[in-house]
Amino acid sequence: MDNAIIIGAGPAGLTAAVTCAEKGLDVVVIDEYMRAGGRLLGQLYEEPNGNWWNGIKESTKLYKKAVDLGVNFHLNTAVNNIENSNGIWTIYTERETFHTPSLLLATGAAEAPVPVPGWTLPGVMSVGAAQVMTNVHRVKPGERGVIIGVNVLSAAIAMELQLAGVEVASLTLPKTNQMTQDAGKPKEVLDSLLHVSHMAPSPFVRYGSKLMKNDFMKKLGVNFYPKKGVKMWDIPIQLRKAVTKIYGEDEVEGVTLATINADGEVVSGSEEHIPVDFVCIAGGLYPLAELAAVAGCPFYLVEELGGYVPLHNERMESPLEGLYVAGNITGIEGAKVAAAQGRTAGLSMAHHAGMDELDGEIKNSIEWTEQTRDNAHIQFHPEIETGRKKILQQWDAYQSNKKRSVVSNSRGGIT
Amino acid sequence: MKEDEMIICRCEEVSYEELKTTAAKYKCSARELKLRTRAGMGYCGGRSCRTMVDKIAATSANDRNRTCVSLKYQPPIRPISFKNLGG
Amino acid sequence: MTRRILDHPILGKMEDNNYVSFTFNQKGYKGLENESLAAALLANGIRTLRHHEESGSPRGIYCNIGHCYECRVSVDGQQGIRACLTPVKEGMTVESDGQLPSSKRR
Repeated sequence: MDNAIIIGAGPAGLTAAVTCAEKGLDVVVIDEYMRAGGRLLGQLYEEPNGNWWNGIKESTKLYKKAVDLGVNFHLNTAVNNIENSNGIWTIYTERETFHTPSLLLATGAAEAPVPVPGWTLPGVMSVGAAQVMTNVHRVKPGERGVIIGVNVLSAAIAMELQLAGVEVASLTLPKTNQMTQDAGKPKEVLDSLLHVSHMAPSPFVRYGSKLMKNDFMKKLGVNFYPKKGVKMWDIPIQLRKAVTKIYGEDEVEGVTLATINADGEVVSGSEEHIPVDFVCIAGGLYPLAELAAVAGCPFYLVEELGGYVPLHNERMESPLEGLYVAGNITGIEGAKVAAAQGRTAGLSMAHHAGMDELDGEIKNSIEWTEQTRDNAHIQFHPEIETGRKKILQQWDAYQSNKKRSVVSNSRGGIT
Repeated sequence: MKEDEMIICRCEEVSYEELKTTAAKYKCSARELKLRTRAGMGYCGGRSCRTMVDKIAATSANDRNRTCVSLKYQPPIRPISFKNLGG
Repeated sequence: MTRRILDHPILGKMEDNNYVSFTFNQKGYKGLENESLAAALLANGIRTLRHHEESGSPRGIYCNIGHCYECRVSVDGQQGIRACLTPVKEGMTVESDGQLPSSKRR
């Protein structure tokens, strides 16, 4: 039996592990990846102060701190199932079975695809896959590629590829259909980019003048839809184009790129062939919450948070006794917010383990999370705060429903 | 390859056309769409295609006011080999 | 042919240089010890890791972090191993899983 078990060794899980260990708990961290760090490993961008946020360094720092505090890591270990019985959680992995009264799910996010004909060909990968190949494994995903799907994540990764000497021939849209919807409509995409322009990744600053950010946005606005696109760090961003097909005999050989109108409809006869040896699919991230679901945790769909999220409160407690959530499983945000949530979860777990007088620290940690969110440099959903409010409202509604049924129970009523 | 022939569920090779046609015919939920077509029932457990199956069902059928998980998750969430099943 | 990024403007020079030998479909390759099998194969220019069981369509890495199972191969005789999560070791024998001889749909 361990005092606390954490599934997921990303920024949320690692920070929670450090927090629990500092409070004297025996902690086990389980992750199916071969290295600790989660999606943080691949991150690489310049902050407004000119420092580079290096995901590998940040991950190593957190991992070392946890190891020094005696946290027990089981990497390369996939969890199949979790169950609760009499207040004890059982965690089934492919190797061994673990038991704990306090379990944190910090499983992060998965990538949602935008499908394109030919996307099963070898050489087509998610944009996150290309990021990990390039920054973590230091292997080029290819020599020249196209990224399909224009959003904050894909723009940041396009820059990272360019930095590593990989040519990005175009950052462009998927063809609009029932699945891609707004991601295939130039107007909507432009609008979503303008929403986040105030915290545009600082390569805008580094690769041009200090004014480049504004200049870039101006260009987008003034010459709305220049057919050739607008160049950012030498990468053509083509909002008036869409990939209609990825072609190749046994592997990717190129893409068919067509001109689209403002609503995303293809202008017939405009198709051209662009030879590339890899393609990235960028449909955004959604919370990976399958373990919370099999545990029986109630969910709520909050589009602003990126999809279905397990119900939770500010203390990172789920409605299930001894089950906690932190990081992207609770909504898509940056690594710093995830880490702040991880700290809160760790404190809540220590409290659950019987440590007194943590309320002040927990309160401070919740405030710190909000501050981190306000100062976030990269934001995936512009309405994140609305989303956070929605889930808290759902939590309150759930709790008062529960109370009502307890009251009627005690009166002998029907629940 | 035409857009309709494009694969949505990579594991079970279910096409866009098959999903669209089934959704239009039965006006069904995402869960029923999955069971009818096998999209999302393959090796990866639906992690790759669930958002798309969800959207097709929401567009074609009566799944618009969904707030609860429409596609159920079931353990094991990662495939287990027979060797490990015995313990 | 894709290549390793030996020198990176921000991340600096690659420090690992402990190469080990492994085989993929009976051919010998070199990879860095403990890097992922998917990375080692891509560094050797190999993108096709398996063929779909029914249609035989070629597949390679897709998500690269263990979610999609597209990169599954046989490692030392064990099937269904994700190349993106498997550290390369000296002497590893890796085989592509392929189209099954008979399929239900035919």
